[in-house]
Amino acid sequence: MDTLVTITVVSRSSSDADEAIDKGFHEIERLEKAANFYSPDSEISQINTHAGISAIKVSSDIIDLLTKARYVSEKTDGAFDPTIGPVIALYDFHKKIKPVDAAIRKNLSLVNYHDMVINRDQSTVFLRKKGMLIDPGGIMKGYAAGRAAEVLKKHGIGSGIVAVAGDIRAFGQKPDGSPWRVGIRDPGAQEQDKVMATLELRDMSISTSGDYERFFILNGRRFHHLISPKTGYPAEECQSASIITTDGALSDAFATGIFILGPEKGMKVLEEIGLEGIIIDRKGSLHTTPGIRGRLELKNPA
Amino acid sequence: MFFLLLIILSLSGIFFIKEILPESQTVLIDADGKPAYVLPFNEDKTVSVEGSEGKTIVEIRGKKVRIMDSPCRNKICIRQGWVETGGVVCLPNRVVVTIRGHEDNDRGFDAVTR
Repeated sequence: MDTLVTITVVSRSSSDADEAIDKGFHEIERLEKAANFYSPDSEISQINTHAGISAIKVSSDIIDLLTKARYVSEKTDGAFDPTIGPVIALYDFHKKIKPVDAAIRKNLSLVNYHDMVINRDQSTVFLRKKGMLIDPGGIMKGYAAGRAAEVLKKHGIGSGIVAVAGDIRAFGQKPDGSPWRVGIRDPGAQEQDKVMATLELRDMSISTSGDYERFFILNGRRFHHLISPKTGYPAEECQSASIITTDGALSDAFATGIFILGPEKGMKVLEEIGLEGIIIDRKGSLHTTPGIRGRLELKNPA
Repeated sequence: MFFLLLIILSLSGIFFIKEILPESQTVLIDADGKPAYVLPFNEDKTVSVEGSEGKTIVEIRGKKVRIMDSPCRNKICIRQGWVETGGVVCLPNRVVVTIRGHEDNDRGFDAVTR
């Protein structure tokens, strides 16, 4: 799983900036280590291997992460569900393997965030059923970007932008006083850096879930990694969903959940909670929350 | 000055790129086709650079720049006077003075969310 992390800061001293950036990178590494689904030593893996057996004591970071995950699960009515692990594990995006229906149905019974028990007082997490798996992929990068930005600020940086793959946190302004500007990837384009619109990011986080990130095509059908916890199959109503909030973990998790909910239900949830977002539906049409409309600079207005 | 450093951590699969943008604008002085000075625009300073015909004196004061003296024949560069943006050149002596802000992002954005 290759992740590109870019940290850009504004500073008058390159040695101060260097130090702050190094601390920012270490924060991301530290969190990645704690949450890595594929590493047997991570805290998440400890929780997973003890599913149905015992509660595991974890760091406050993981409690924070999973509490936010649960919140988004509740608000998206389970469209985002961090316990989706057993179903995603059935797909192999490298070998282009799609599971059979029976396997999906079997593993779907293990997907339910209500069976993830978080005990804040004891700082423990328990998965009730054997075979349950937490996969933090849908929330981790945004969480890390937000935390790295906090570390930069703590080390005297007044303005910067942290990108963990496509999950971005910006704070402060650029040297000329203008805000950081983020491009939204055009989901229909092959190239990673082709954008369909740009947006100013003023002390906010933005995350995007897209059907182009991890996928394979089988018999003309696209199988991507944004699996619906209800059906066990990739959600098909959106090409991408981008969410803007003050919290990186929430923007990442909501992007996943809103993508899976689709444009109608997704927009409704965003408006209910008061979050800003952009959805590009499967036909390529743009849906935006009212607050974004005036702020989005479209590259090629239709 | 931009500093771009690529640090590869092959164990974790995370690749880091760091970028530091200077807070203020800078003055670049190239002499004889090569960079000679990069100076902060907000600090008063007078420097001398060696061009192909001799020494050109460049002065930065009050966030303005000028060529104060130069060995060229017509002294066109000196007659340019103080500039606040862009730059000033002495062609015969091959000295180029440019005022640079943060690098203007010609892509139009600083990062891509995907």
